[in-house]
Amino acid sequence: MTGKKFKNISMDGLFRNNPTLRLVLGTCPTLALTTSAMNGIGMGLAVTFILLCSNTLISLLRKVIPNEVRIPSFVLIIATFVTIVRMVMEKFIPDLYSALGVYLPLIVVNCIILGRAESFASKNPVLDSSLDGIFTGLGFTWALTMIGAIREILGSGSIFGLELWSFKIEFFTSAAGAFFTYGVVIALFNGLFASIENRKRRKEFKLLYPSYEVDLPNKDKSENKIAKEAK
Amino acid sequence: MNKVIVSDSPHIRGVRTTKGIMLDVCIALLPACIMGCVYFGWKALLVLALSCISCVASEMVYQLCLKKKFKTILAEFDFTSLVTGMLLGMCLHSNVPWYVPIIAGVFAIVVVKMLFGGTGKNIVNPAITGRVFAFISFQAVMISGWAMPTIKAIKPLAGNITSGATPLTQMLGNGVENIGISNLDLFLGTGVMGCIGETCKLALLAGGIYLVVRKVIDWKWPVIYILTTGVMTVLINSIAIKSFAINTFLPSILSGGLFLGAIFMATDYVTSPYTNKGRYVYYPILGVVTALLRHFTKIEVVSFAILLMNLFVPLINTYIRPRIFGEPTLSEKIKAKRQAKQAAKAAKVEGGEAK
Repeated sequence: MTGKKFKNISMDGLFRNNPTLRLVLGTCPTLALTTSAMNGIGMGLAVTFILLCSNTLISLLRKVIPNEVRIPSFVLIIATFVTIVRMVMEKFIPDLYSALGVYLPLIVVNCIILGRAESFASKNPVLDSSLDGIFTGLGFTWALTMIGAIREILGSGSIFGLELWSFKIEFFTSAAGAFFTYGVVIALFNGLFASIENRKRRKEFKLLYPSYEVDLPNKDKSENKIAKEAK
Repeated sequence: MNKVIVSDSPHIRGVRTTKGIMLDVCIALLPACIMGCVYFGWKALLVLALSCISCVASEMVYQLCLKKKFKTILAEFDFTSLVTGMLLGMCLHSNVPWYVPIIAGVFAIVVVKMLFGGTGKNIVNPAITGRVFAFISFQAVMISGWAMPTIKAIKPLAGNITSGATPLTQMLGNGVENIGISNLDLFLGTGVMGCIGETCKLALLAGGIYLVVRKVIDWKWPVIYILTTGVMTVLINSIAIKSFAINTFLPSILSGGLFLGAIFMATDYVTSPYTNKGRYVYYPILGVVTALLRHFTKIEVVSFAILLMNLFVPLINTYIRPRIFGEPTLSEKIKAKRQAKQAAKAAKVEGGEAK
């Protein structure tokens, strides 16, 4: 495993192919469970664990599973791990277990896990697949925690259960607020992402054609100077 | 001078501008605002001012964020955000905390109007959405704490007005007999608890007549909306008590925000159907929805009903379109279809004979 590949997989999972913000997968738990940051972390970590286990096992068995029945096999593997996680959580963290409610068993049909199994784990070696599972799960976790934190601060005036102030905008704890916050966060993230990509692309272009003055909107003054000096 | 100017098709333009129309709406809203301030005191003025300032300021800040120059913003300022601010302030009651009009105003302008592209691009009415947002977000302060107007009722009926409920909620909860206030008082807004701009129906009516005279709105649409709501309420109550309940007609149309909604909000150009045919569908349905929701939820729902129906406007615009020039009318289409069928039948018969 080279460093470049590691960086690629981690960046894909956390940012470039972030399941919630870029691929818009797993929206059901995102909308329903992000009333508080704690719920977001709990759900995210549960999904991360299941994703790690299922990706590893599916990658190990990728040459054994016949192509025709791969989806049922994936579901069987995922359901096994979900059951284990449910039992463990019910025994050791019953509060979070009851807060997650029906969405915990529903991880079985979560499209992030099935999607990673289908598109990555069934085609790549074990180490890559398990790393992909971890980073995709962590990408899901941070997105859920962020949305949960925004909704908790605005809607309940607290963060991770700590009360900050008594001022509440109840709109953000309702379902409409969930859709609203999710949409705004997706828009901001994608806007930020696009601007970073753009800057990178412009830099590469300048390296290739140093004498060409780039005529794009929002060009920086420093970039102009460089172009003039190159001339 | 031989100069040929080539331009696209609207060659003759009206003199009316968005700015002028919106200024007319502002003027029409003024009597109701003034009556609200007279009834509810300086607190009402504060709420109105805060919501207006918040709306106008958030629009300007948003445009500054888009890197527009301040001079062009001032030059392009049409009074739409001011109208939104006034309407929003008018449908809050005067005892709301200071942050409610500000937050609702920012939400109404930034989220509902500017994010969709500014004036004329919004899919729902900003002022109504602002009110609904405030209603959902600050339920505790929006439902209770209504202020008692300073001017007492001219002729109160038997029964006391308990504080904390508007005449409408009393009527919806306990039936029309327990409303505790006469129709004349409801019309003038004397002794009526309610939102700042919606209690004095006379002032709203005066504003509406001004708009009709200035040809900003058509008189038909508010009238259709108000009458449908009244008739529908009578029908529902008649079914409920199994006798003809005509006495619910006047209280139902004179209480709550129906006049404000019908004259100033439902007739918003952007969020009502383009065609007259579409409007004949839109306003009656709006009235029916308002009456039904009022009956079943027992709260004032004019804002919710208008918000709900605003979302159906694109659907109405898609299916009820004006006839394109040269397009056959419906009867002609049916005729053509019948003729084609007959021709096909005749061809079949001929074919059979040939065999």
